[in-house]
Amino acid sequence: MTNLFASATDSPQPAAAPVAGPGRAVLQLTGIEKVYQTRTIETVALNHVNLTIHQGEFVSVMGPSGCGKSTLLSIMGLLDEPTSGTLELDGRPVQSYSDKELARLRNHKIGFVFQSYHLINDLSVLDNVELPLLYRAGVGGKERRQRAYAALEKVGLGARTGHFPSQLSGGQRQRVAIARALAGEPEIILADEPTGNLDSVMGEEIMDLLLTLNREQGTTIVMVTHDEQQALKTQRLIRFFDGSQVS
Amino acid sequence: MIRHLITLMWNRRRANGLLLAEIFLAFVVLFIVGSVGLYNYRNYRAPLGFGYENVWQINLDAGTQPRPEQYATLQTILRQLRATPGVVGVARTSSNTPFSFSTNNIYLETEQNGVKRTVEPVNIYYASPELSGVMGLELRAGRWFDRRDEAATRPSVVINEQLRDELFGPGGLAVGKRIGNKDREWQVVGVSGSYRAGGELSEPQPGMFVHVSSEDTSRAASRLLLAVKPGSGAELEKKLSADIRSAGPTWISNITTLPDQRQTQLKAGLVLPVLLGVVCLFLLINVGLGLFGVLWLNISRRRGEIGVRRAMGATAGGISGQVLGEILVITTFGLALGLLVAVQFPLLGVQNVRPDIYFTAMLLAAGTLYLLATVCALYPSRLAAGIQPAVALREE
Ligand SMILES: Nc1ncnc2c1ncn2[C@@H]1O[C@H](COP(=O)(O)OP(=O)(O)OP(=O)(O)O)[C@@H](O)[C@H]1O
Ligand SMILES: [Mg+2]
Repeated sequence: MTNLFASATDSPQPAAAPVAGPGRAVLQLTGIEKVYQTRTIETVALNHVNLTIHQGEFVSVMGPSGCGKSTLLSIMGLLDEPTSGTLELDGRPVQSYSDKELARLRNHKIGFVFQSYHLINDLSVLDNVELPLLYRAGVGGKERRQRAYAALEKVGLGARTGHFPSQLSGGQRQRVAIARALAGEPEIILADEPTGNLDSVMGEEIMDLLLTLNREQGTTIVMVTHDEQQALKTQRLIRFFDGSQVS
Repeated sequence: MIRHLITLMWNRRRANGLLLAEIFLAFVVLFIVGSVGLYNYRNYRAPLGFGYENVWQINLDAGTQPRPEQYATLQTILRQLRATPGVVGVARTSSNTPFSFSTNNIYLETEQNGVKRTVEPVNIYYASPELSGVMGLELRAGRWFDRRDEAATRPSVVINEQLRDELFGPGGLAVGKRIGNKDREWQVVGVSGSYRAGGELSEPQPGMFVHVSSEDTSRAASRLLLAVKPGSGAELEKKLSADIRSAGPTWISNITTLPDQRQTQLKAGLVLPVLLGVVCLFLLINVGLGLFGVLWLNISRRRGEIGVRRAMGATAGGISGQVLGEILVITTFGLALGLLVAVQFPLLGVQNVRPDIYFTAMLLAAGTLYLLATVCALYPSRLAAGIQPAVALREE
């Protein structure tokens, strides 16, 4: 297996140099608002967010804790519905999709890396990574296994496939979560602090992996991060404060 | 997907162990109760081999009358009964009358291809020639008793088809053959259909009717079976007992109807199956509640997992399918263990019950548990399908 990280580590990517200019809009958020209503207080997690993510873009999202980054990602990942506003995926409003179509989109288009990994504890590492392919029609058991293996190799966990999440360190779990998002070879990867639990070397490697993916396969990536250095490597940086985009 | 579910259930085997044990035990109990039920039901559905609707039974006891005088009195009684309007026929028989809880067994010896074999138990019924008419017995071969049997050197018998099959092979030739054991010998003059005097829940058993002469004195006072006109009631009963008392003042008679005896016997015979059935029902309710509870608990414990699966592309239907699939996988494993136990019954020939009863009971028990598991999973699976991924993922 060739080392995907080799070239990227010594020469940081120029901040804004997409291979082929900004493509069409894959995700278009218009006036997105998300309000959490609890008995005592009302939290505005997202406040009229207008945002366009183009195909092939690598966007990083930064902002203080609680400003709504995870909420934004879960709306973009079709996991949550906005209180108001419209989200368009490939130019079609998401509200018009049926449950089945949404499931299909989540499966084929989107790879999600959760802030708290969300691995299934009762499944081995390999089975966890296979999950997106399990829900994809026409992918046989053998192919599933191979692709999951390949994804685990990429994150450096090829030797831990039989382990269970409880037998892994936090960083290893995070890498399994990343491998799971990669296994389905989605068009869009939504990563919520994918390197938050990794040491700087491993963090670099994962970052380079994402950069390579973006560069070579044109995968659109939206990544939440607290690391300015990482954010600088992406093509666009969006800053959030209190539910609003500030830059 | 099934492989995935099996893997998942295997990985969760600790959590599922109790459920598995519950299903295993429920299956074994259901299987046993089902076998008992089926056995009884099969018997219930089989023909009795006689009619009982308009048959009465009179138990006679000569009381203190000296034995030599008893025969004459009995003849008077028989004559009177036969002449009574409303009485169609009177037969003498031994105490093992239909539905009477009384049996009388012997063993028979037979030799086939030089190999000696004992057939037992064989029910033995003493019968005067009228019995066939009174009970409406069916004749398969040969003839029923008549005058010729009075002078026979060897007592005549009519054997039933079960005994014929045992002695001479299925459908074998029996009429004209001699049967017996080391004490006695009989001459087969006919073959009857099955005769299940043991009642509707009894299995058809080998049996034989031994001719009792009308002149017989040795069994003077015994049982009479009367065919009466349809609709006969208390009035006839009163007249019959009055007639018996006037013929023999010391004689005690006890008149019952076969329909009444049948009811009594059926009730007694149903006590065990019904009791087992009720126990089984409670067991099923318990297992059902258990399954339901565990599934419900599982779903609230595994909300995060459900959220992840939705995020990875599972549809709501896929999630409910998974809940159902999981419980069916566990059920299948429980049933597989149970089948290992159940299969021993027909293999070892427990209770000499026909194997197909056991196999049907296995199918029934398995079907019931699959159905139960499905029903119990319906609501939890819908609950799981309704879980919003974002909400579930945030909780962890
Ligand atoms: N289910 C909920 N009910 C009520 N309030 C919620 C809910 N989910 C999120 N919030 C609130 O919405 C706001 C945004 O939350 P979110 O998780 O998006 O923040 P974040 O930017 O990802 O923070 P962090 O960097 O700490 O992960 C927070 O103030 C949070 O308390
Ligand atoms: Mg967050």
